[in-house]
Amino acid sequence: MSTAPALEATGLTKTYDELVALHPLDLTVGVGESIALIGHNGSGKSTFLRMAAGLLDSTGGDLEIAGFEVGDVEARATTSFLPDDPVLYDDLSLREHADYISRLHGGEGFDDYAESLCDRLGLGDRIDDLPARFSRGLRQKTSIVLALVRPFSLLLVDEPFVGLDQPGKVVLLELLDEVHSDGAATLVATHDPAYVDRVSRSIALRDGAVVFDGKASVDQVLGLVGG
Amino acid sequence: MTLAESAAVVGDLRKARRKQRVSSIHWVDALYQVYITGLLSIVAVVFASSLVGDQKVSAATLVDVQQHGAAVVGLVASLAVFLGLRSGSRGGPLALEQPDVRHVLLSPVDRGVALRYPAWRQLRFLAFVSAAVGATAGQLALRRLPGNGAEWLLFGAFFGVVVVGLGFGSALVAAGTGLRSWLATVGGGLLVVWSVADLAGRAPAAPGSFVGRLALWPLEADPLALVGVAVAALAVGAGMRLVAGTSLEAAERRTALVGQLRFAVTLQDLRTVLVLRRQLAQERPRAQPWIPAIKGRKAKFPVWQRGLRSVARWPASRIIRVLVLAGIAGLALRGAWGGTTPLVLLAGLALWIAALDAAEPLGQEVDHPGRTDAFPFDRGQLFFQHLPVVAAVSLITGLVAGVVALVPVGSPVPPGVALLAGSVAGLLAGCGAVVSVVQGAPEAVDLLAISTPEIAGSRTVFRTAWPPGLAVLGTLPLLAARAAERGVSDPPPIVAELTAAFPLLVVLVLLGGWVRFHDDIHLWIKQAGEQMSPTKAVERAAEAREAAEAREAEAVAESRRVGDDDAKDRPPARVKQPPRPAPKAKPKPADAAPGFRGGTSAKPVGRKRDQNS
Repeated sequence: MSTAPALEATGLTKTYDELVALHPLDLTVGVGESIALIGHNGSGKSTFLRMAAGLLDSTGGDLEIAGFEVGDVEARATTSFLPDDPVLYDDLSLREHADYISRLHGGEGFDDYAESLCDRLGLGDRIDDLPARFSRGLRQKTSIVLALVRPFSLLLVDEPFVGLDQPGKVVLLELLDEVHSDGAATLVATHDPAYVDRVSRSIALRDGAVVFDGKASVDQVLGLVGG
Repeated sequence: MTLAESAAVVGDLRKARRKQRVSSIHWVDALYQVYITGLLSIVAVVFASSLVGDQKVSAATLVDVQQHGAAVVGLVASLAVFLGLRSGSRGGPLALEQPDVRHVLLSPVDRGVALRYPAWRQLRFLAFVSAAVGATAGQLALRRLPGNGAEWLLFGAFFGVVVVGLGFGSALVAAGTGLRSWLATVGGGLLVVWSVADLAGRAPAAPGSFVGRLALWPLEADPLALVGVAVAALAVGAGMRLVAGTSLEAAERRTALVGQLRFAVTLQDLRTVLVLRRQLAQERPRAQPWIPAIKGRKAKFPVWQRGLRSVARWPASRIIRVLVLAGIAGLALRGAWGGTTPLVLLAGLALWIAALDAAEPLGQEVDHPGRTDAFPFDRGQLFFQHLPVVAAVSLITGLVAGVVALVPVGSPVPPGVALLAGSVAGLLAGCGAVVSVVQGAPEAVDLLAISTPEIAGSRTVFRTAWPPGLAVLGTLPLLAARAAERGVSDPPPIVAELTAAFPLLVVLVLLGGWVRFHDDIHLWIKQAGEQMSPTKAVERAAEAREAAEAREAEAVAESRRVGDDDAKDRPPARVKQPPRPAPKAKPKPADAAPGFRGGTSAKPVGRKRDQNS
């Protein structure tokens, strides 16, 4: 079994012309670690997560996932990204989405686990519907199903609670706990101060730089993100 | 996951999606698309055919074609490579769907497998279209040039395919290797400049000219032309091999924007096309303006000030583009003065495209109807106040074109004539740009839009053509001056030019009025259209009938009540009328709350952009 950390960033930077989105960042996420990524709007949380997912190119520095360079096949097989903006095909039903994405990752397709995920998130009756016709919240739930229906050891989650109703939020928190107990590392970017109580480590970003790394209380978080 | 497994999974999805897509296409829609495509193709061929004519060229012209034809046609190949490199450096040429980027390219399947199929499909389509265009061009060439008909057809089509291969292959290589944008521009630009220099006889044969020889094979078989074929095949092969290296960041940015861009093109929404193209090229206003604002100074003319601040933030790439366009316009004016009259089209178009950038502050207002509707005065008034800045920038661009037109080659243009021609052309190009920006996208549903395709199409052509047409109109004074120079008319060239320019300056005044009262005119036309609409007439008649029936029923009920009262021998009761509400006093314009006048010009696309900003 690999002893490499789930994620390791060394001197990672991202700039857009004159704008520095991420200052040189050194960060390590251990295997199975559960982390909250906090910070005000524009602090660099989403930029970092998208770089870790391989969606954004870094301007400088190194980023490795489980010992592999981000973007490598092995890194992609390891990382699951749950974005804040659900991206779904217009012409595939929820079942077809889950089936396809599971198979892309070497899975068996739409199986019992996928069905149970749909049921728990209240999508049981909508499995054969097109997500293109779903509301924002239902699309977010579909996105959650797609992020979890495949194998991974690092889960990157960006603003997961946006658009979710209260039962959906409760189920998502349960699912994140389950993922963590199964041994996967989770990195959740959120504005919800209450989430930091559920994790052992919080990382706060401000203007693209780490300003806090450790166990944080809700009051500390509010101070850090200016809430 | 192995290559075979990757291919199997991705292939299964494609089959499933294709099946769904095909099942959702209605045969009437498909036939209609074929009809429209066929109709437009026939119109294009007939138009091109009438331009080319069918008189065989003279022996001297044939020699010219043999000497310079390859360089002229080769310029097309160089431009294809230039555009391909630029597209590739921005994440092109593939326009993937966003879910494909997020789900397929982020999964552990081989990216080459995932990307090669859409690449081949796109190449296949482009090659087919290009071959058809090339074959048609070959047939048109046959009417003027000697040679075998089958050869012209075959080599025309072959040349089209090779040009697509060069452009598409370059784009794939640039995307796969992550070629920097500036490097792509410089590299591709050098090829184009070399081709132009070759055309002017100032440089050895450009690489593009070798490809051009393929198109002229029916005139003169040249094995060197096959070098271009080999290079195109090599470029496509290398591109297909390297395509897996395409940056996901660029690809995702492109996926979102290309979809919107196509939609905007479908709507003929030029302004949205411009905005999206800038986003695609990542062309952003400078954070620090070239000329800093004077702090503490109260702006006397805030709208002018706002326009100037916008221009002061132009990125270097936009300034260079406008200067290059002005240069092209200047050279075209120079060519028109030299005798090649059709070059006024190129000059007008170049200045119009440049003026679209000059109209950016005005465009920003049009993009944000939510803001303009909140101002305590009419939109037209605001737009009108933006015109001086547009005119000033367009004038400067035109003057640059005029200076370039003074290039000392052949018979010189008198400086006064060149500068006046540039100024007027620039101003009229500004008018065209203002029209393009203010008229916006056509209404989705109106009387003409729901009429037959032929009528709606003619309206679309007119809407699209008249803004650049205004810009081309601005070059007429140069032609008047040329005619005077050649002795066709009496007055000196500058006087003839001024005489021709004066009516065009009246266009400026008319345009100002059109901008100021555009919304009112639009509303009046809409109301007039509703008055003329038979459907609306039926609706109005029905409403009048219902109202009359209601009055009649009320009168009958009233007379019955009165009759009943008389029968009971009671003194006539005074009918109690419901109290009429006092008419609401119309607030005087001065009393209206600031920003309360609603506009009627909000457009869905603009609203969407407004919300996103």
